[in-house]
Order: sequence, then structure tokens, then C-alpha cells
Amino acid sequence: MDAVIRAEGLQKRFGRVRALDGLDLVVDRGEVHGYLGPNGAGKTTTIRILLGLARATSGRVGVLGEDPWRAAAALHRRIASVPGDVVLWPNLSGGETVDLLVRLRGGRTDTAEYRTVRRELDEEFQLDPGKKARSYSKGNRQKVALIAAFAAPAELLVLDEPTSGLDPLMEEVFVRRLEAFAAGGGSVLLSSHILSEVERLCTRISIVRAGRVVESGTLAQLRHLTRTAFSFDRGDSREGALAALPGVHDLVVDDGRVRFTVDPDRIDALLPELGRLAVTGLRVAPPSLEELFLRQYGDVLEPQEA
Amino acid sequence: MLGTLLRFRLRRDRLRLGLWVAVLFLLSLLIVSEVRDTFGTLASRVATLRILLVTPAVLLFRGTPQGTSSGDFVAVLGLAFVALLVGLMSTFLVVRHTRAEEEDGQADAVAATAAGRRLPTLAVLLHVALADLLVTVAIAAGLLAGGLPVGGSVLLAAGCGMCGLVFAGVALLLAQVLPTARAANGASAAVVVAAYFVRGIGDAAGTPHPETFTLTPAWPSALSPIGWAQAIHPFADDDPAPLLLGLVASVVLAAAALALAERRDVGAGLVAARRAREHASAWLGGPFGLAVRLERLSLAGWIVGLVAFAALMGGLSVAVVHQLDQAGPGIATVINRLGGSNGTIQQAFANLGAQFGGVLAAAICVQAAQRLRQEEAAGRADAVLATATGRVRWLLSHLLLAALAAAVGLELAGLVAGWLSDGGEVDSGTWLLAFLWQLPAALVFLGIVALVFAVVPQATVPAGWLVFAAAVYLGIFGPLSGVPDWARHLAPFADVPAPALPTTSYTGGAVLALAAVVLVVAAVVLFGRRDTRPVG
Repeated sequence: MDAVIRAEGLQKRFGRVRALDGLDLVVDRGEVHGYLGPNGAGKTTTIRILLGLARATSGRVGVLGEDPWRAAAALHRRIASVPGDVVLWPNLSGGETVDLLVRLRGGRTDTAEYRTVRRELDEEFQLDPGKKARSYSKGNRQKVALIAAFAAPAELLVLDEPTSGLDPLMEEVFVRRLEAFAAGGGSVLLSSHILSEVERLCTRISIVRAGRVVESGTLAQLRHLTRTAFSFDRGDSREGALAALPGVHDLVVDDGRVRFTVDPDRIDALLPELGRLAVTGLRVAPPSLEELFLRQYGDVLEPQEA
Repeated sequence: MLGTLLRFRLRRDRLRLGLWVAVLFLLSLLIVSEVRDTFGTLASRVATLRILLVTPAVLLFRGTPQGTSSGDFVAVLGLAFVALLVGLMSTFLVVRHTRAEEEDGQADAVAATAAGRRLPTLAVLLHVALADLLVTVAIAAGLLAGGLPVGGSVLLAAGCGMCGLVFAGVALLLAQVLPTARAANGASAAVVVAAYFVRGIGDAAGTPHPETFTLTPAWPSALSPIGWAQAIHPFADDDPAPLLLGLVASVVLAAAALALAERRDVGAGLVAARRAREHASAWLGGPFGLAVRLERLSLAGWIVGLVAFAALMGGLSVAVVHQLDQAGPGIATVINRLGGSNGTIQQAFANLGAQFGGVLAAAICVQAAQRLRQEEAAGRADAVLATATGRVRWLLSHLLLAALAAAVGLELAGLVAGWLSDGGEVDSGTWLLAFLWQLPAALVFLGIVALVFAVVPQATVPAGWLVFAAAVYLGIFGPLSGVPDWARHLAPFADVPAPALPTTSYTGGAVLALAAVVLVVAAVVLFGRRDTRPVG
């Protein structure tokens, strides 16, 4: 298949620190690819290399078939990106910044079409474009970068934790826009440390840990990583019956509470069973990335020193 | 409560305040010793005063002539400038601890505690009063250390401290009214500078009394706190009455500010922030347009400064140089040593003017090139480089703008200086050439800073000013301080062609231009090879 991003054995060192340590990543055309990892795993470093802002120490990397370092300027006409920490020019207004970023990417801002799109985006994201960036909160700065990314056509969107700082309502707007972009045939690399966000949006996921991709596949293939955690007070219930149910894993009893995890597609079958047991103090928690890493790799979430 | 807040803020400010105290002490001492060295005898002071009384252009920047003693001279040469500095220190301090803290959210944290809304403002008042007291003591100590009489020293220093208090009141008031900390800072500083020039106009338009070597300032001086401080006539009349006027004014201003502080929300000014454009103008479309937008105010300021300086040099060159020449050989020798000994004093003066113009142009280049690193460190360079803008284009946009600003500044400066020196030995075409030939040296600084940026980005800002300061010392003041010839020629300034002098070599200019090109090319190549490194 046609890959928009292909990295093989990517290494990046900063002095003695190995930020990337033989990273492989493939993003196919037309897919929304979740790039998942804890803070410090190398997500931002990867993205800086993909955008030609940093050069890999070794390894091969191609973006839209080109070397992102050598062909950076030409490539960026086809790529829109949103950095993890959006910094703007304090004395430019939000509206000016959006126009500037679009123009810098080679887009036109004098067409009626662009003006319509921008007005829609300003309204959807509830951005006041007539305020100086100095007065914007983190969330508003994030909106400026997102609007600039969505306002001009691109083949590939590279987003580094784009929803950090957005409130839930704005996250919803972002999700709709991203879905529309993907429906139009665009490809997306979406880095995140929030499992549920990636689960919702992405067709394929790569999980990065200490500078390497440790898992990569479709959601279905990684289903075992995203079990929901259940727990309830043991009382005199007979949890033995639960262990026999399909899709229930890791059942343990500790501290008077029964704990286990369940495959997402088995939850509806489990609920009547819980009702029959008349459990008390029921807690259901979506899987968090931290738990996943702890369970899967027994890991401390820190970058590795070389 | 008040004590806690005040202690906390003083702790945060101790380094900055310590620096101001040290600088103002040294500056006062320096002014006294300068007067001792250059105007040590009554005869030289009388000769200089004769010229000063009839030269409004100098009075504008200096002060009110009030007599012939050394102390009187220190007051004329130094008081207004020192008062200007104390005023700026006070306004910066006030805005830093009011609106700037609010914008950072620190003030919310304080206002949410039992400290309430009025206490922080009161704490700022006490804080700035304390700071002004400290610098008053420092200035007085500097003057006393220079050997001036006690009464005059204390009153001169108190006059400066009084200015600080009045301007602090102005800043406190503006901090309540204006929409942002930046606006409050800018407006307060503008008031201080305006006060300096209002009293300058008063002095320049004043009535001279040649028989007593004094001057009665025109009415504008009475509008300016710095004018009030001058009216003390320290060392001559020692009249403390104007201090009272200043005190009353600062109390009134502070009370008004406190009343307003009660009425506004934390973080907001009484005047709402002006709405900015919602769409970018056609100008703001590429890296060069962006660089212009980011730099235009500061570059315009530099260019205005450069042209004003050239106007002063051009305007002075005929009348004053002639009279200085008559006044005594001391100054003429200095000018010839600095400006070139193979010409007349007017030619040397013109060359010296052009050299200082070159120094300012170099400063423009250093400052504008340092913007590269500031943009990179903040992460804003990445925002541009993640678009279809290549690194070379981004780098060259900033360098080109700096070079253009330096060139425009020198061109305008040369034209103005030549125009104002009409009738002197140096014709206007030569003035223009003398200024324009400074450009290659200025561009060498641009190249040096760009190269440092390309290789050791973290060092860009300190290295820029260090190289600049070293070059000014070696190249411009080297001849005065006995720096060996080879060391002097390390500085680009030393090899600039001097068209104002009867004989000069143009080789140096060509070499400098070539060096600038080589440095910029090296910077472009090396920057093209490295990652950008935002901080944080």
C-alpha cells in the first residue's frame, strides 16, 4: 500500500540521551494513525523529524515520498501541522496569525472560498480573531493553530497532542473536523497520550515507548490493550462465576474487592451477570495509558539514557 | 500582611534593585570625575558656559546653567539624565508589580488571599518609595564620593528621587487605566521621556544671563517633574521648595490610582483592549513581511535615534566645534585623537560623528540578528519552518531586514547631518559618504551574530553584545586609552574609510564588506545543517 510516512530504524540522540532508538513507523494514505505514548517517549521528537525541524542521527525516513529534511519547504505545502505547545507572536491577532500561517504554507487567503471556511472555523471553534495573541489562553492558541491547519487544504495532517488545552465542547468540534478531513481522503498522524481519544478517531495505532514503537496495528488487533477495568465489593458474592465468562481477564480479589478486566465487545454480556450477583460499590474505569504501560511492560515512564 | 507582601516583592526584586543602585552610584561618581577631568579649571568652565548659554541644541539634552562651580556643572550635565533614569526605574517597577503580575496570574493568587485588592497597590507604593529612597542615597553617595558639597549632593539626589516618586504615581495611574501591561509600560516610559524633553525645551528656549552664567528656563520646564528638580539649583541656591511640589503631586497621583484600583477587575484596564485586525494585511504574507511586522517599532526607534544623533553632530559641527577650538586645546586634542589627526578639528569631528553613527548601525544589526535566537528559543521559528518556508529564506529574511534598516538609518543620518552642517568645512556629500561607509562594518556585526546563531544558538544574545561592546571599546575609544594598534584593528570600526578626512584608505571598507558576505554565507550554510532548538 501507498505509505505517506515511512520511518525505518530511526535514531535521534541529544548528547548521551537517546530520544529515538530504532523507531519504525508506517502511516498509509487515507488513514488516521494514532501515535500513542507517555510523555517523554519520543512522540514530539519523531514529529520534529517528520517535519524537517530536526535531523535523524541515523535511519531512513520518507514523508509523502520525500526526505523531510532536504525537501522541507516543498513538502510543507502539502502538510499542515499543529505543534504540541502552540506559541504565537504576541502582537499579532489570532486572525492575522491564521492568515499568515496559511500563506506561509502557500495557501491563498484572498478567495471567497477561504473566507467562508475561515468564518465557519472561527465560529465553530468560538475564536475571537480580533484579539492579540498575547491575551489568548493555551486553549485559544491551540484553536488558532487548528484553524490554520484546517483552513487550507493539505494531504497530510501532523498533530501533536492537539486537544491539550481544549475544553470538551471544543474537542467535539475538533473531532468532527478531523473526521471530515479523513472522509475527504486526507491522512493524519495524531499523537496523543490519551487512549480513549485515539481509540475514537484512529483506524490504526502505533504505541511508542522509550524511543521505539512497541505495538502497531488496527484497533481490533490491539483490542487486548484496551480492556475496561471493573471492580466491586466482594461481600458474599461468588465471583467464580464471572471468571468463566468469555472476555473476562485477570480476575483477582484483594482488599475485599473483586477486580478484573473485560474486552470491550463483551461488556454487554457481562452486565446482566453483575445484576444477578447484586454487586455493591461497582466501579468501571476506561483503560488509561499509564495502566496499560504498567500492566503490559511493568514500566517506569521515563526516557531511557543511553 | 502588607509586610509579608512587601518582603516577598523586595526579595524578587533584590538583584534588579541592587543593579540600579550600583549603576546610579557609579554614574554619579563618573559624572563628577568627568567634570573634574574635562572642566577642572574655572576658566574652562566659563568658556564652556559661554557657548552653552547660546546653544539651545545642547541645552535641550543637558540642563539649566546655574553658575560656574564644579557642582553647578554636575547639575547641568547630569541631573536631568539621572532623573530620567530614576523615573524609568520607578515606572518599570510599578508596572512590573501591578499589571504585569496580573497578566501572569500572580496577582489573582494574591488578591484571592486575605491581602485583598487595595493592599497590593499599597505595597507597590511602599516598594517604589523604598526603591527611590535607596537610589537617592546611592546618587548622593556617588556625588559625595566625588568630593562635592554635602547640601547640594543631597538635594540633587533628592530631586532625582522626587522625580522617581512622581513618575511612579503616573505609572500607577496608567496601570489602572490602560488595557495591558505592555501598554502601561510603554505609556509610562513615554511620559518620563516626554518630561525630559519638555524641560529640555524649557531650557533651550530660556533666557540666558551671560553676566552670572545662569539661565531662566521658559515656562515648559514648570510642567515637568525633571524641570522641578532642576529648579532646586543644587550647589547654587539649594532651594528645597520644589521637592514639596513633587511630593504633593505624587501623593495626588497615588490617591487617584488607589481610587481607580477599587473600581476595576483584576487583569483588566479601565480602557478595554483595542480590537486588532481579524485578517492579515497583504504585507504579512512571507517570512520577510513577518520580520518587518515583528521588528518595525524597534527598528524605527533605532533609526530615529540614529538620525537625531546625526542631526546633533551636524548641527554642532560648525558653531560649537569652532568655539571649542577657541576655548582651549584640551577638547580639540581629544576630538582629533578620536576622529583622526590628519585633518582639521571640523573634519575630525565629522568623522567622529560618522563613527558613532556606525556604532549605532552596528547595534541595529546586533539587535535585529539576535531576534533570530529569540524566535527560535520561543518556538516561533519552528512555527514558520513547519510551513513552506525554508530555513535559508527565514534566516535571510531577518538578516536582510537588519541590513536594510542599518543602510536606511545611515543614509538618512548622513543626509540630515550634511544638511544641518551647511557652511562647514565638510560638505554635505562628504557627510553622506562618511556615514554610508560605516555600513560594511555594521554588516560584519550582522554576520558575526548570525554565525554565532548558526553554531552556538544559546550564546547568540550574550555573545552579540559582548562582541559589540569589545569592538566599541577597542575601535572607537582605543586611541584614547592607549590600546595597542594591533588590538584596535581587531574591531571592525578601526578600519572604516573616513571620507571626511583629507587622506584615507578605502581598502578597509572593501575588506569589511567581503568579510560580512563570507560570515553571512557561513551562517547560512551552517544553520542549514542544524536542528532548531526551542527552549522548554
